[in-house]
Amino acid sequence: MISGLQIGVLASGVWALGLLGALHRRAQGYGRRELFARAAGDPRKGVAYAFGKGMSPAAKESAREHLPTWFAGVGYHLGILAGLGYVALLLVGIELDGMLRLGFQAPLLAGALCGTGLLVKRAFTPRLRALSCPDDFLSNLLATAFVALAFARTISARLDAAFLAETMLLLLWVPVGKIRHCLFFFTTRYHMATHFGRRGTFPPASFPPRA
Amino acid sequence: MPTIEFSGKQLEVNEEGFLVHPEEWTEDLAAHLACKEEGLDAMTDEHWAVIRFIRGHYEANGSAPMVRSICRTTGVALKRIYELFPSGPARGACKLAGLPKPDGCV
Amino acid sequence: MPELDELEARLARLEPADFERGLAVFRGKLRGAEASYLETCVRCGLCADSCHYFRADHELKSIPAYKLSQVASVFKRHCTVEGRLASALLGAKSFDRAMARTWVEAIFGRCSLCGRCSLNCTTGIHIATVLRAARSALAEMGLVPSDLQSVVTQSLESGNNMGITKQDWIETVEWLEEELQTAVGDPGARIPVDKEGARVLFTVNPREPKFFPLSLQASATVFHAAKEDWTVASEGWDLTNYGLFTGDSVQAGAIADNLLRSMQRLGCRVLIIGECGHGYAAARWEAPEWLGREHGFEVRSFLELMEDYFREGRLKVDPDRHQDPVTLHDPCNLVRHGGVCEPQRTILRRTVRRFVEMIPNRAENFCCGGGGGQLAMARFQAKRVQAGGVKAEQIRRSGAKTVVAPCHNCIDQLMELNREYRLGVSIKTVAEIVADALVFDQPVGR
Repeated sequence: MISGLQIGVLASGVWALGLLGALHRRAQGYGRRELFARAAGDPRKGVAYAFGKGMSPAAKESAREHLPTWFAGVGYHLGILAGLGYVALLLVGIELDGMLRLGFQAPLLAGALCGTGLLVKRAFTPRLRALSCPDDFLSNLLATAFVALAFARTISARLDAAFLAETMLLLLWVPVGKIRHCLFFFTTRYHMATHFGRRGTFPPASFPPRA
Repeated sequence: MPTIEFSGKQLEVNEEGFLVHPEEWTEDLAAHLACKEEGLDAMTDEHWAVIRFIRGHYEANGSAPMVRSICRTTGVALKRIYELFPSGPARGACKLAGLPKPDGCV
Repeated sequence: MPELDELEARLARLEPADFERGLAVFRGKLRGAEASYLETCVRCGLCADSCHYFRADHELKSIPAYKLSQVASVFKRHCTVEGRLASALLGAKSFDRAMARTWVEAIFGRCSLCGRCSLNCTTGIHIATVLRAARSALAEMGLVPSDLQSVVTQSLESGNNMGITKQDWIETVEWLEEELQTAVGDPGARIPVDKEGARVLFTVNPREPKFFPLSLQASATVFHAAKEDWTVASEGWDLTNYGLFTGDSVQAGAIADNLLRSMQRLGCRVLIIGECGHGYAAARWEAPEWLGREHGFEVRSFLELMEDYFREGRLKVDPDRHQDPVTLHDPCNLVRHGGVCEPQRTILRRTVRRFVEMIPNRAENFCCGGGGGQLAMARFQAKRVQAGGVKAEQIRRSGAKTVVAPCHNCIDQLMELNREYRLGVSIKTVAEIVADALVFDQPVGR
């Protein structure tokens, strides 16, 4: 028997995917840049680098020098992925137990802690707070609450309604606020990597790119 | 605009120390700038030859001379110019000669 | 910041139509890539330390994400439905006088378009390219700082960015030819002018003939030693293009066309861009896009050509002439934006005894602080020198006595840093280093 909340989650998922698709079309609607300069490098190699070795914290100074934040970000995103997987399982009626449950609980708990940590950092680092707009807090709150409730839901089925309601809210917000980067991360990275790949900057001659 | 004070007068300069009103330039000011802007201990005859030539060229043509003309006219060798004015002919010598900042990569 | 006096007057005169035109130009610069960039930033703030401005002043306004967000907020407000409907929540902001002022301060005043943040963005936003599009909008609105614009205007009017007359240019070349003959002891040494059908057309930065001809003489010495079939042009010889910095593609295209017409007129096969970062990026990468056509010839950096000479055994050098440690500065437009990274290293390893890298280097290099037209904008001088402190520290830590910089713009900034930060180094082009180490088949002076 499908509950109203489950239908709501599915509808929110459709909304999120549909609008993300529309956002993608809107961005690509600006057209492709016709390029006349002869390429020096291979754009495909640039893309392979950007989505491969280039993702390693060793590849970027911004990650190397801020490993706690970088790992918090990774933990947060893994938690969200685990949460989404968990929702999908619940929707098809699979209840987790044993090791499998633990396998979800670990990233969910870590994700909730990381998300909270990043939210606290944003709120209490003056420069980061000044850089932020309300959406930065709202998006984080929604995603962190989602992961935290997912974790709580693995412990207590009584939180089913709360978790599904939160999932709905999150999915509704995904295409509206900055969580749309779940789509644009990939397109942006692709475009940037193509650019630097053509110019021969990617992949760097030495890796990690230091002397 | 920033100003510098020299012999009781406030002279307008741009943010890099080039005179905004080149007509306010005097040789005394050049000696003052040489010490303050260019860190020179003293002005030698060579310094003066270069500065007077640049100044004269600017007053006649409204622009800084080519370094070739500076060398040819003053007899100062090219490499010597860079020793005389550590900031180079543009940011060094032209500034001391009271010229506005030249265009380009200088 | 210095007060934006003269710009302030221009800001005050802006009409609603000016904002419309600025926005239209901005929108016109966007393609799918840039539209995607503008949707992606999550303001994680990790880009902050990648910017030499932020490293030097630790101010919010120097964080790349802050600069980007000023542009993105305008995009949201004016180009998206959700930004119009929920502007406060999403951080969308109107493009008004205050915002235009913010853009000028952020994008002209605190950015050298070096692109270091682009490589350090956690999501991969090519921030520099978005900021350049914003400069284009400011250019359309007449908000380019006047001393930067005057360099562009000078190029458009006189064919070179210093207003050097043809006669002055030719006389300087002749003078340098005499100096070359004396230096290499060969009265047959030439700096050919307008030699039709020469293989290589060599282009220079006007500051070389005007104020710093030793680098030009060094380049000529290298050509002489390599027995190259080369020429300079009597007109259309200036490799600089400050249109790259103002963002006005029409003017930039017109300046780039000067070089292309020289190539056509002289029928040369390879256009060689002398040691200059932005000049290389402009001629090699941007000019075809500004003009909407592929070059019918090769455009290469002088560094690539010198590397060829070494590979082909056309240059003999004695590295013992350079005993002191030598380090290398990576000009952003040549290396990160231009993709010319290794030739200069290959050359230096053969030419000097002790080559030491700065940390970080190559595509991860720090901007010297003089790029993006910063050197031309006097109003931002204090910020520029402060931001250059990062490079100064890198140089100091390298322990080198000589800094090689294949870019005249960088050299000028490095000279100022050398003085301000008391580095006590000498600053040279790659060609100067090579020329000083050259060994000629015949003894010099015979």
